[in-house]
Amino acid sequence: MTGDLLVIVQIAGRRCALRALDVKSVIEVAAVTPIPRAPAWIAGITALRSQALTVIDCRRAIGPMEGDWPADHRAAVVAEGGHSYALLVDGIEDITTSVGEAGQVPGGFGPHWSRIALGMIETMAGPALLVDLPALLAGPEAQRAEIEAAV
Amino acid sequence: MDDLLADFIAETREMLEASGGELVAWEADPTDRARLDAIFRFVHTVKGNCGFFDFPRLANLSHAAEDALADCRAGRRDPDSRLVTAVLAVIDRIVLMIDTIEAGEPLDTLGPESADDVLIDALDVSRETGLDTGGETGSVGLEETCEGSDPPLHAPAADLLNAGDEPAAPARRSDSHSAGAAPATSGQRTIRLPVELLDRVMSGVSDMVLARNDLAHRLRQAGNQPTIDGPFERLTTILSDVRDAITRMRMQRIETLFSALPRLVRDLSAELGKQVMIDLDGGDVELDREMIETIRDPLTHLIRNAIDHGIEAPSARLARGKREIGLLSIAARQSGNTISIVISDDGRGLDEERIAAKAVATGLITEAERAAMPRDKLLNLIFEPGFSTAETVSNVSGRGVGLDVVRQNLEKVGGSIAVRSHPGEATLFRLQIPLTLSIIAGLTVEVAGHRFAIPQSYVEEIVQASAAALDFTRMGETALITFRGNRVPCLMLGAVLGLDEADLVPAEPTLVMLRLASGDLFALAVEGIHNHGDLVVKPLAPAVMRSGLYAGSTLLDDGQPVLLLDVANIAARHQLLAEARTRVFVPHAESHATGDGATARAMLFTDYAGRRAAVRLELVQRIETAPVAAIGRTAARARVVIDGVILPLIGLPDAPLTSPRVRLLRLSDGACELLYAVREVEDAVELTEALTPVPEDPLAEAMTLIGGAPVTLIDAHALFALHGEPPQAAERPRCILPEGEWARAILAPLITAAGYDIVPAGEHDPKAVGILFEDVYEVAEALGRPLPERVIRLRDQPDAPAGCTTIYRYDRDALMAALAEASRAATRNPAAGEAA
Repeated sequence: MTGDLLVIVQIAGRRCALRALDVKSVIEVAAVTPIPRAPAWIAGITALRSQALTVIDCRRAIGPMEGDWPADHRAAVVAEGGHSYALLVDGIEDITTSVGEAGQVPGGFGPHWSRIALGMIETMAGPALLVDLPALLAGPEAQRAEIEAAV
Repeated sequence: MDDLLADFIAETREMLEASGGELVAWEADPTDRARLDAIFRFVHTVKGNCGFFDFPRLANLSHAAEDALADCRAGRRDPDSRLVTAVLAVIDRIVLMIDTIEAGEPLDTLGPESADDVLIDALDVSRETGLDTGGETGSVGLEETCEGSDPPLHAPAADLLNAGDEPAAPARRSDSHSAGAAPATSGQRTIRLPVELLDRVMSGVSDMVLARNDLAHRLRQAGNQPTIDGPFERLTTILSDVRDAITRMRMQRIETLFSALPRLVRDLSAELGKQVMIDLDGGDVELDREMIETIRDPLTHLIRNAIDHGIEAPSARLARGKREIGLLSIAARQSGNTISIVISDDGRGLDEERIAAKAVATGLITEAERAAMPRDKLLNLIFEPGFSTAETVSNVSGRGVGLDVVRQNLEKVGGSIAVRSHPGEATLFRLQIPLTLSIIAGLTVEVAGHRFAIPQSYVEEIVQASAAALDFTRMGETALITFRGNRVPCLMLGAVLGLDEADLVPAEPTLVMLRLASGDLFALAVEGIHNHGDLVVKPLAPAVMRSGLYAGSTLLDDGQPVLLLDVANIAARHQLLAEARTRVFVPHAESHATGDGATARAMLFTDYAGRRAAVRLELVQRIETAPVAAIGRTAARARVVIDGVILPLIGLPDAPLTSPRVRLLRLSDGACELLYAVREVEDAVELTEALTPVPEDPLAEAMTLIGGAPVTLIDAHALFALHGEPPQAAERPRCILPEGEWARAILAPLITAAGYDIVPAGEHDPKAVGILFEDVYEVAEALGRPLPERVIRLRDQPDAPAGCTTIYRYDRDALMAALAEASRAATRNPAAGEAA
């Protein structure tokens, strides 16, 4: 894992890392069409060229977060399970390389963060939380169960 | 019929190809259950198909093989090598028969029917006696024919065939050179392509369409640029051509599947002594060609089941107070990425108790599970493998192989099936088939500032009226409107989507009337309708799909993404999906009558002269959009072809049209129709202001004020009097023509154009006007042959001998006058004599 390229982003004030290979591009988020009755962590859909992207608010996708975070006007585009998503984060910082394996920290990351974390990874820009994309895109557990109950 | 036959042959071949490996594997291990099932399904399908093509020999063979295999599946018999041999022999025989059928030969060329019996005996199906006696007769049957053949298990099959009918093989070989076999080989030139490649091309083209839309939007923003606009227009045309072609490459109207069904239903109901009426709807829904093939069998199975087990015999139906004739309705609808097909019958419904008992008996569920199971869930157990409630095994629907195969086939392509039923009333199967990528016609609607798309296939009509005119009422939580005399449930889109919690009804709601695949109608209240057009539907992320409201997303011309509503699901969530077509509320007669109190309504539009005009809404049947190419202006009056019908068209400007499409109001007076070309359709409005007559304009009924501006109300009476195509008289006068090529080719069109029907040769009609050549007439008169009462005599020479009542055969005016005189005479006095 050492030497992998990582995109460093800020999510809810924490430094997180996405594998650069997973990130297709970084786009300017134009108008987002909201989706009524969709979970709160889905901000809506937006158009990228001829494609429709599902816009995910990462802060809410992790779980109920305290605080009000700034939003970057740019978003990272990722693909998962044949669908493309735009990830809304506090800020997209840098691209850097990892200098170690992802590992756990004593005491863990807390229940919400643990669900979406592959572990802590040391990078050239300091430690970051390596994000488990499928887990992030699955949305907060509690909310998912709620929706399933409603269906 | 030929198409069906070709399909049958191709299908059987394809299945054989697919099960070739299974056959070999089964041969190696006769106890392999999975192979056994595969082969069982093959013979079962062949049996089913030939049942409706009337190939009794083929049916007998496949039925026998099916019986033998069913015994194995049920554990009544152990598959041994002898059985394998016999089954393979039958399958080989089926192949030979298919070849013969394809060559267009009668099956007798394969030898007498008794040859088949040898094969059937070899299968040694004896369901009454079971295993022990079976062994003996089977071995006898085989030993007789297998002499000298050694272990390879296929060999006996070939021997059997050759023993039974020597001439079969040579006959076939020589046939392939004869003219009879030619059509089979020299059809349309085709190539086979992997579906995946088509998918790639298709999604590429869809993206191109979106890119073009994006470009179009940017060009519009940049303003008029003649150097770019020309090539761009060309690009657009080419792209739409390519897209049509690509779409057609994969798509087929579901009609191709539906067209075979009436015959199937007819044959099945005749065989089972039932009376069934089939009602097909949504034949224009387009479906992936491959998908059509996938659902062909499931659909056939479901129809068989419905007729065999669902619909009762006529006497039983009458006893239950139903109509003697059972109704089987099949409807297809497209909704975003899925096609739903609903098959419903008004038969006896599913018996919950029997299904439960059977499921418990076969160990599918325990008693405790059964007690806790809701009815819907219980009913859906019928799709479990090996489940069948029919007590008697008939030739038609078999033994439960149907429904598990149905579900398996659908699930293979990502579809699903569910059943709902009312005991004694109806059963409804709902098939959902996915369409990963598609282009559908859709309507864009707006509510609370959001835009959504609705698949056009659901849209029955768009209604815009005041709440009072719609008789809007609330029954508890449910809103109802009155539409064409029926009370129809109404959903507020804003409330459905949680956008507009106040749930208020606007004074002038725009209602989209949606017709579900089950036939249920409901209204969806929206705030506005934007436009309609082709939408490229893309799948949504699973987290969004889970909300159950959306079927996909699409991009509008301006690049704005919009969500496509999942109409079927929304209706189901609001319990608007009835289980059969029984829920039609007819309101009390008084509210139905359009009394004087109701305000008259009109369609407001701008015509090509730039004049704002209105026409009474009752006259407007539909708003059509026709390409300019469909307009023919050769005659004094322009005509346009809509849905294959030629209709008169008025309101066109004298100058050539610049737009590629024309909006047309389709007006009808009940009998005849005409189209009114308009520049722009504005709105349906209520005529509240006073109507001021305008005697100087013959085509205007009155002037009135709408929204403070003057509007001309079109005089429908004058319009139809001037331009309406007179309907064809129900009974046209008839005319008997002389024999010969001249009469058929030259005279007949003239007579037909004059409003006469030609009496076909061989038919006698004493009231018809007869046209005869002079010489024929004279002969007939001389011989005293019966002549028509009124006769027009024709002569060959232009100059008539003096005092002659004949007409020169090219004297059109005289001929027409004589015809007119003859028909007048007929109406004046039907018994009048000769009028020539």
